[in-house]
Amino acid sequence: MSSMTMPSPAVSGQPPDEAPTQRRSTELWMMLFACGIVLFAFLNVVGSLKDQHLGTIFEYMVAFLVTVLVAHVAIRLRAPYADPLLLPIATVLNGLGVVMIYRLNQAGRNGNAGSGAPIATLSPHATTTQILYSVIGVVVLVVFLVFIKDIKALQPYTYILGLAGLFLIALPAMLPSSISGVAGTNAKIQVSLGGFSIQPEEFGKMLLAASFASYLVVNGKQLSLLTEKWWIFSLPRRRDLLPILVVWALSMILLVVEGDIGTSAVFMGLFVVMLYVATGRRSWAILGFLLFIVGAIVAGTIVSHVWQRFDAWLHPFSTQELIDLPQPSYQLVQGLYGMGSGGLLGKGLGGGQPFWTPLVQSDSIFTAFGEELGLAGVMAMLLLYGLFVQRGLRAAVMVKDDYAKLLVTGLAFMFALQVFVIVGGVTRLIPFTGITTPFLSQGGSSLIASWLLVAIFARVSDTARRPAPKPIQDEGMTQVVSLR
Amino acid sequence: MNGMNRPIKRVALATLVMFVILLVNVNYLQAVEPASLAQGQYNDRTASAENQVQRGNIVTADGVTIAASKASSGLYPWQRVYTNGAVYAPVTGVKTVFSSAQQAPNFATGVELAENNLLNGTGSQLTFRNFIDTITNKPQKGATVTVTVNSKAQQTAYDQLQAALQGKTFNGNQAVGGVVALNPSTGAILAMASYPSYDPNQLAVQNTGTLSTVETQLANQNPSPLLNNATQTTLPPGSTFKIVTTSTWYNSNPANNPNTKVASPQPLKLPNGNLLNDDANLPCGNGSGMTPVFQAFAESCNTPFAGLGIKLGGTAIKSMATTYGFNNANAVSIPGVNAAESNFTAESDPSFTAYDAIGQHDTTATPLQEAMLSATVANNGVLMKPYLVQQVQASDLSVVNQTQPQQLSQPISSTIAGYEKQMMTAVVQDSDGTGSAYNANAEGGIVIAGKTGTAQNGLSSQPDAVFTAFAPAGNPKIAVGVMIQGGGYGAAAAAPIAVAVIRAYLATLGIQ
Repeated sequence: MSSMTMPSPAVSGQPPDEAPTQRRSTELWMMLFACGIVLFAFLNVVGSLKDQHLGTIFEYMVAFLVTVLVAHVAIRLRAPYADPLLLPIATVLNGLGVVMIYRLNQAGRNGNAGSGAPIATLSPHATTTQILYSVIGVVVLVVFLVFIKDIKALQPYTYILGLAGLFLIALPAMLPSSISGVAGTNAKIQVSLGGFSIQPEEFGKMLLAASFASYLVVNGKQLSLLTEKWWIFSLPRRRDLLPILVVWALSMILLVVEGDIGTSAVFMGLFVVMLYVATGRRSWAILGFLLFIVGAIVAGTIVSHVWQRFDAWLHPFSTQELIDLPQPSYQLVQGLYGMGSGGLLGKGLGGGQPFWTPLVQSDSIFTAFGEELGLAGVMAMLLLYGLFVQRGLRAAVMVKDDYAKLLVTGLAFMFALQVFVIVGGVTRLIPFTGITTPFLSQGGSSLIASWLLVAIFARVSDTARRPAPKPIQDEGMTQVVSLR
Repeated sequence: MNGMNRPIKRVALATLVMFVILLVNVNYLQAVEPASLAQGQYNDRTASAENQVQRGNIVTADGVTIAASKASSGLYPWQRVYTNGAVYAPVTGVKTVFSSAQQAPNFATGVELAENNLLNGTGSQLTFRNFIDTITNKPQKGATVTVTVNSKAQQTAYDQLQAALQGKTFNGNQAVGGVVALNPSTGAILAMASYPSYDPNQLAVQNTGTLSTVETQLANQNPSPLLNNATQTTLPPGSTFKIVTTSTWYNSNPANNPNTKVASPQPLKLPNGNLLNDDANLPCGNGSGMTPVFQAFAESCNTPFAGLGIKLGGTAIKSMATTYGFNNANAVSIPGVNAAESNFTAESDPSFTAYDAIGQHDTTATPLQEAMLSATVANNGVLMKPYLVQQVQASDLSVVNQTQPQQLSQPISSTIAGYEKQMMTAVVQDSDGTGSAYNANAEGGIVIAGKTGTAQNGLSSQPDAVFTAFAPAGNPKIAVGVMIQGGGYGAAAAAPIAVAVIRAYLATLGIQ
């Protein structure tokens, strides 16, 4: 590659409209617009619920605004060429999540409609806590942008990152259920001590992605060698199958031990996509997909609660699933009722009855938006998610370094898969599994991890869009360039 | 050009497809499916709309309001209030404001559930009236349901049951009991009381936390107070089943009459060699071994009827029992009443049939079935189908539904009914009858006819007490069935309850 010596816009494959301008003011205006949407959402809740205090809302809003503006300043100073859409999308999604948590917290309180009592699984301070998590998320973003000047800095730590990621994912399974179990489910996915709980897998997945990326940068070429041809598929060499089998085995262990098919699917999808991108061989993708499907079916027949989820998905309205204890499809069905009652335009924030759905503040928060913002609202939110993923992948295409390409593609796809698994789950497209909805769900780990993703996308898109270093002198064939 | 860009673009395309699928799916869910989802079970969003309307009252036949909806400042604008909740719980059932609780097992009982659509004002019969209310700007109100129950009879039945059973245990658990009173000529249920009972007010709360506490507390009790012991609990009928056995016997030969003498050995040697004894091993009648049927019936000897059972065979007795309501799902499918079938099994072994014929072995009955036995005899052999809902009135007082009495079957001819009446009168009125303590002299001139039962239940010290009766014998107005688990002698534990209910009800008719 000779781009060092060429003016940046001429790089082949790069759209001409992607002039290397910083676009920070655009970002700022869009963020203020996003905050305006959040403010309107808050006011909407205040207007439709009883006994609301504008002062409290004002405090929440100021805290949120300051938080996201700090993120903006950090990007302005440390990643000035970052994609200007990332932060506004994160702002509007995170803000709407905070509004919904506030709204759910009011259910059954202050004389507002509720299921007869406040939502038991939602603490009275959840709104403050969620804003606090947003603050921590932004702090993580700032720290990342300050200390990681180039994502390649992570590349040497293939195995350390991998082991750390595995440790974080496996941690809940090794702990007793009293610490790691999620109330009301069979899943063991959190570490809960003294009322404070984190889900380490949210970070473990990202560390694994970093580890896979550096492994595949080195070994990608070798893995792309194909030998046997079987029907229309070209098969990889048998001895190259080891890595995918290891990851597959880990994802199956995750499925069986932690009972968490969602995380297991996201984990496997992450590796398979990175493998596909690194090798360019579709057979890897197909092989990975088949391995997971077969494994999930086998695991489903062995582990009863995995199979129960299938039953609850296929016949959610049957007496056996909905009425007989432990009512495996109750949460799914209540979410569907909520989305159904929302219809095209929704009941308006504060106007619906999302409180009937169990865990509506975490697993099923998307259905609360469906109920109160309607089809129009959730379509807008899905488009925002889609846009976020595409901006991430765009950075991956534009960046030159293979490691960054792989990592960002993997993370963007993982994010898309996570949205697909949870939104598809609550809308009964696929079996329902309890994973968090990025940016929206109540809970710190998911929100902080989402902000970390914003930081990574910002760093890589900044690297990608940063203009090539300017020649110090213009004339002559020999150019002296500044490398920093 | 980097070699990874092509696969990355494909991944981008794949994620696009994933999002398009999600978009299509939410469109289907929120634009196409809402109408069918709104009808789904456990849909609290639909249920809460129902809770916005003032629910109709439930009123007894003599005009006492036993369930009403009062204005409330809680979660919903109306609070269901049950008057004397524990007394009327088997009749009203309970309407909870949360859909999950309503549909949980055991909650699906009572008039509240059976007439839900009319009580909440959504029934199709009310559509036109609701429309009128809407255009005249009147608040919508549900229909009022009048039940056949008489408040005096019901209150007496419950008080008596409570006095007999409070603190009494059977096999370590609270002993249960039930009373059913019927109008023999219509089948109207005059009283239906159960012990132990529960207070529906505790379940009609507008707080899920309180509700689940109460639900858990009720679920942990054994036996469950939610069970309607008047219609859902089956116990051995004991000697009261001799009504069915003798009906079969009279039916088998027109020459048979109450004075016909039957063999009354003490003991009776069964075909399998075992011995069947009379109570306290006392001889029947004058001890000669042959006793007139009416006398054996009044003294409640066992051996003559066990012998008749062997002679008649299980199949013949079963077909008679079925017309009386045993093994007959239709007989006990009563709107608003969750009732179990009583059972008689036709055994091939005559030694078992001997026990079945005297209401032991695997013969079982509910208090409702006991009342149906007497009601049939009282109504000249015609069994009327029991019913609980008498009338439904819309909020403008127009009658929406009115139950017409319906004949269920005719187990016996009026002649045989006369024989049975004669025998049951002898039980209470003859000096050697088991129920002679309640003869006309003792009961202020009211002639009661009945049959006692003292049924073995495996706990020899505590037999179940059973009594079935009707009164006045000459012109029956009420038929009662009483069963007290572990109560002891039927004449001592069950009969006084039946007599009290009879007298309370007859007093309202001016028969003192």
